[in-house]
Order: sequence, then structure tokens, then C-alpha cells
Amino acid sequence: MKRDVIVAVSFLLAFLFIAYAVTMKNVLGLGGAELRPLGEFYLSHSFAHENLTSHSPEVVTAIVWNYRGFDTLFETFVFFLAIMGAFSVLRLTDEQEKLVKELEAREPHRRMDLIVRAITKLVVIMIVAISASIALHGHLTPGGGFQGGSAMAVASLLLFAAFSKFTLERKGLTVRHTVSAYALGLALILATVLAPVFLYGGKVLEINLLPGEMGLFNLDVGEYIAVTFGFLTAFLVLGVSEWIFKTVLRREVND
Amino acid sequence: MIELHLLILAIVVSFGFVFSYLAMKEHDLLKALALSSVQSTFFALGFYILAAPDIVLAYLAIAVGAYTALVILAISKTERYEVGE
Repeated sequence: MKRDVIVAVSFLLAFLFIAYAVTMKNVLGLGGAELRPLGEFYLSHSFAHENLTSHSPEVVTAIVWNYRGFDTLFETFVFFLAIMGAFSVLRLTDEQEKLVKELEAREPHRRMDLIVRAITKLVVIMIVAISASIALHGHLTPGGGFQGGSAMAVASLLLFAAFSKFTLERKGLTVRHTVSAYALGLALILATVLAPVFLYGGKVLEINLLPGEMGLFNLDVGEYIAVTFGFLTAFLVLGVSEWIFKTVLRREVND
Repeated sequence: MIELHLLILAIVVSFGFVFSYLAMKEHDLLKALALSSVQSTFFALGFYILAAPDIVLAYLAIAVGAYTALVILAISKTERYEVGE
């Protein structure tokens, strides 16, 4: 009991202090106008490297794509390998999938409160809008495809929790669909990466050859779709209840 | 002269440290998961003070949303309570 009081009071003090600092002293206004030498170096060098630029005014994105584009590209491939690993370890044949669907339909499913369901709908719409705004101008402001995609995956997780996996699958969000959408996102990324080679005779990932911000925007959108549906695939595959999984596999052993 | 935002950073990160300790000591895995997501919220605040908004956006969504959900799914396949030897 005493410990709770101490914890509560220390929280209160800390947040009072932070609130005072933020409102009165403007601490998070992130400093004045003066620049330190390191910041100046980044600002003057990030937009273009040897006159090649990916047309991003935002420093982090500009560094990521001007200097370490392959790094980012291979991150996408690592993510792909992780998702495909989970998918192939937990894979089911067509008959097994049918069986899983029957068992899930028979499972008693509890419905959440009306309040929870209504609020979840509202919140999900807001999260989807914000994730789209993070992703679609991720090349101009902080954010980008990965950040937006993971926010979107969280929105669909809320739907999982408030409704159920079964309801969503009946509405059409099956593993087959999410994997197809994932492939679409990856195809968009690959097309953007390879476009300079085939259209302009450049090298792989020379997106500065594409007109304007098109290259970066396409990569953003592709990453957004890929990350969202990659995460969703993992959740859908892992979301099968353990007893259903065991029943299905046991049946396979008995045959 | 102590800079105020560094002081806030210290407070936030030490709260994160306390919560990560609590998460390690907890035997109920679901509670430990909740504590660890509180810890990552504090660390996200720390990243914001360090002026890294890109990291904050990814870190919050992953650490509080996706990671928690994945571990809940993993716990649902085993047992909720950690049994000491």
C-alpha cells in the first residue's frame, strides 16, 4: 500500500515538472534558431550527394535514400524473409484450412460491449487516416512507409480485439487476400527500384532519374502496403487457436 | 547550468528503467507485457526529446501495438504464469 502511494506521488511530481517545463519554459520547442556545426553539416550535405538527389527536403529521409538506399531496400527483403518464415512454419494445406474454418465457426464467440465496438470503429477510422498521412507524405515530413504501415497494422489489431478474427475473415480479410496485397506492395517497390534500369538506362535504385518525387512516393506507398499486409499476414497466421491447430495436426497424424 | 530538456530526458528514461525492472520481476506474463509497453512509451518520449520523430512514430506503433500483440498471441499458445523452479 505504502509503495503504491510513493509510486503515485513520484509520478505526479514528475509530470507536474514536465508540464511546467513544457508550458512555461517551452523546452520542447526544440531550442532556438542557432545551429551547431554538426547540424549545419547535415543540413548542407543531406539534400544531395554529388549532385544526385532523391528530391526529399526532409533530412532523415534524404540521408536514408541518398546515402543508404540499399540498406533500406534490403531491410524490406529481411522483413519479407521473416514473414515468409512464419508463414511457412505454420502453413496449412487446403483441406486443413477448410477444417480450421469449420472449427472456428463452431467456437463460441463472445461479443464485446456496444460501447467498445462503437468506439473502436471511430478510433480505427482515425488511426487509418493518420497512418495514411504518415505514409503518403513520408518523403516530406517525418514518417514514411514503415511507420505508416505499422500504425495501420495496429488499427487492424484493434479490430481483431474488439470484434474477432472470425468476423474479419468472414468480411474478406483472409490470409490469401493479405498475402496477395503484400505481393502487390513488394511488386510496386521492385518496379520502382528497377524502373531506372529499363526506362533510362541507369543503375538499380537510381530514383533520381525518375521525374520529380515520383520515385520516393512510389517507394513510400509500396512500403506502406507491404508492411501493413505483412504484419496482418503474421497476425492472421498466428491467430489460429492452439487447440484448433492441435486438432488439425492430430488428425493428420492419425491418417 | 542544467539544461531542462536533459533533466526531463533523465526523468523519463529512469521511469522506463524502473518499469523494465518491474517487467522482469513479474511472474504473470500478461502483466509483464503491460509493464514493458509502459516502459516503451517512456522511451518513446525520450526519443522525442532527443529530436528523433521518425523513430518515435515507428517505435510507438511497433513496441506498444505490434510487439504486444505478437507476444499476447505467443502467450495464448503457452501458459500465462511463469513457474519458478
